[in-house]
Amino acid sequence: MDSRVVSKAQLPELLDKLARDYILVAPVHEEETVTLFKKVSGANEVQLDYTNSDVSPKGCLFPQTEKTISYTYTGDTLDMKEAAEPPKTALFGVRPCDIKSILALDPVFEGKFLDSYYLDKRKNTVIIGLSCSKVLSTCFCTAFNSGPCDGSGADLMFTELGDKYYVEVNTDKGSSLVEAYSQFFGKQDTEQLAKAKEEQAKKLEGQFTRKVDLEGVKQVLDENFELPYWDKVFKKCLGCGICTFVCPTCHCFDIFDYVTGEVSGDRFRCWDSCMFPDFTLMAGGHNPRPSKKERVRNRFMHKLKYHLDRYNLEGCVGCGRCISKCPVNIDITQIIKDLKEVGQNA
Amino acid sequence: MLDAIRKLREQAKKLLEEKKVEMVIGFGEGTELARTTPVFITSPEEVSALTWGPFCANNLVKYLTDYRNLQGNVAVVVKGCDSRSVNRLLTDNQIDRDKVVVLGVPCPGQLDWHLVAATVNPAAKLKGISDDGESFTVKTDAGDYKFDKKESMLHKCLVCENPNPIVSDMTVGKEQPVKNYENRFAEVTALEQLGTEEKSKYWDKQFSRCLRCYACRNVCTVCTCRTCVFDQMQPMWVSKRNNLSENTSFHLIRAFHVAGRCVDCGECDRVCPVDIPLRKLNQKILKDLGDLFDTPTPGSKADLTSPLGEFATGDPEEFM
Repeated sequence: MDSRVVSKAQLPELLDKLARDYILVAPVHEEETVTLFKKVSGANEVQLDYTNSDVSPKGCLFPQTEKTISYTYTGDTLDMKEAAEPPKTALFGVRPCDIKSILALDPVFEGKFLDSYYLDKRKNTVIIGLSCSKVLSTCFCTAFNSGPCDGSGADLMFTELGDKYYVEVNTDKGSSLVEAYSQFFGKQDTEQLAKAKEEQAKKLEGQFTRKVDLEGVKQVLDENFELPYWDKVFKKCLGCGICTFVCPTCHCFDIFDYVTGEVSGDRFRCWDSCMFPDFTLMAGGHNPRPSKKERVRNRFMHKLKYHLDRYNLEGCVGCGRCISKCPVNIDITQIIKDLKEVGQNA
Repeated sequence: MLDAIRKLREQAKKLLEEKKVEMVIGFGEGTELARTTPVFITSPEEVSALTWGPFCANNLVKYLTDYRNLQGNVAVVVKGCDSRSVNRLLTDNQIDRDKVVVLGVPCPGQLDWHLVAATVNPAAKLKGISDDGESFTVKTDAGDYKFDKKESMLHKCLVCENPNPIVSDMTVGKEQPVKNYENRFAEVTALEQLGTEEKSKYWDKQFSRCLRCYACRNVCTVCTCRTCVFDQMQPMWVSKRNNLSENTSFHLIRAFHVAGRCVDCGECDRVCPVDIPLRKLNQKILKDLGDLFDTPTPGSKADLTSPLGEFATGDPEEFM
């Protein structure tokens, strides 16, 4: 693997250049307490002193609202306009958990049916990761063989070390970016910095307060669809969509037409949430997941079993957003612990 | 505070043992020191799960409508602000007073988890809490933490109207002093000073980032419609598209729908994952209703009718 060095003093200039040549999406302090990934026009808007954004950057590849086609009837002919090719995008400052989540989303959109809306954006997006410098009380990425400095999945991975960024060049896409902006990417001291990064990773890994052990959890779920445990957990759930909307791996959507007049309209796809009652409501009125119990169970089954069954990949990356944001403290790490216990007592 | 927890458990145990209630809804220890989680207790042996303290922000009255069709009665742990919700649900005929036992807890204010999380050791065990007037000291097995109330409490607690429950069948804990505040609506008044364009810019920025997760609606104790207008497919009043126009429609329709019924418990504001200051929106209406009709905060007295939900034949019809 190739590696480089970018001096901190030069980063703003690099970001300005990226913003000129690409659509640059980076963390922005929307409010004092809110950090979101947004399109920026230059380095001055980018805020890298954040631990974890409030909403994951998945919207860059899978927007909450996306117009897929526009149509107009003229006489007997139907005019359809499809979405234009997405612009070249640089997604900068992505934390390891969120990078890993993109790897979990890839096979969903690149399965039997190729989802061009996602895949075209994925193809045109270069992912520039940024190692964590702090561990939150809700973080548990280490449970999924990842860590606060894990750059796997990123095209380029930046790690802040003193007055420099150590940059790992992981893919051809990353390599071409380094070449195109070679004046910013030095080669000095990379060996020494690689060691410093390892040390930083070790130090941060020691700061995790949540110890999560997944051993045996999937087996419990494989063997038990019905568990009395679910009768307990769902009662406090409010049935809102926070957990699914802040989740970096949730990917369910709904498609509908927004008709303007009688002859034209737009077709949209929007994020949907399995926590909403109408998610599984059928036209005839039947709902296979009629209560919060079935919906809560489904969400955890999806994270801890179904995603693994389908893609052999974890459906959770340990970003901790759902833990931090759930208004009633439904905590996936507690669910994992409880399910493990259920398995041991069975 | 530990004394209040002991008494709360005693009361809950008694109620369950004597079969006066089928379920006790209260606060239980959360997965981090500074959090609690709603618990639903159905047997006397489980009452040790109950807790109380400055990390009990949730308004548990929300759950009463989930259990209104239980055969037996339900007991619920209620703070002063939450007790306004009880009154409001009674006025709206959503719950049967005879089927609810209110376990009232006088409240010295609630700490904002997001403001204290970075300071405390999340894995520490709570040993006790002392209320030192201007601050709380949270005692844990990993040391003591002192929190200045002004800096670390939920904003609503800084201008609390009802530190003591207005509705209560059994009150547990020491009565709290009721304070008078010069301007309960200071945050709203500040916003009112802005020009129309600035106001619009302010709210546009807030509503633009709404995720439409509907947590504000789902946590709201006065949102009791069986089918919410936002879940209706035909006609689709507000579509699933996330954009400023649809998001604004959602928030304004909601604000007007709860106008005159919103008890100012602040839950919508607390649960918003992207920190939209929803309480300001509802407080503006609350303030205007007070100015126009001289009405107190909904729920702050029993059998209060809403000035917007009342029809009287003697009303002037100036607009007709």
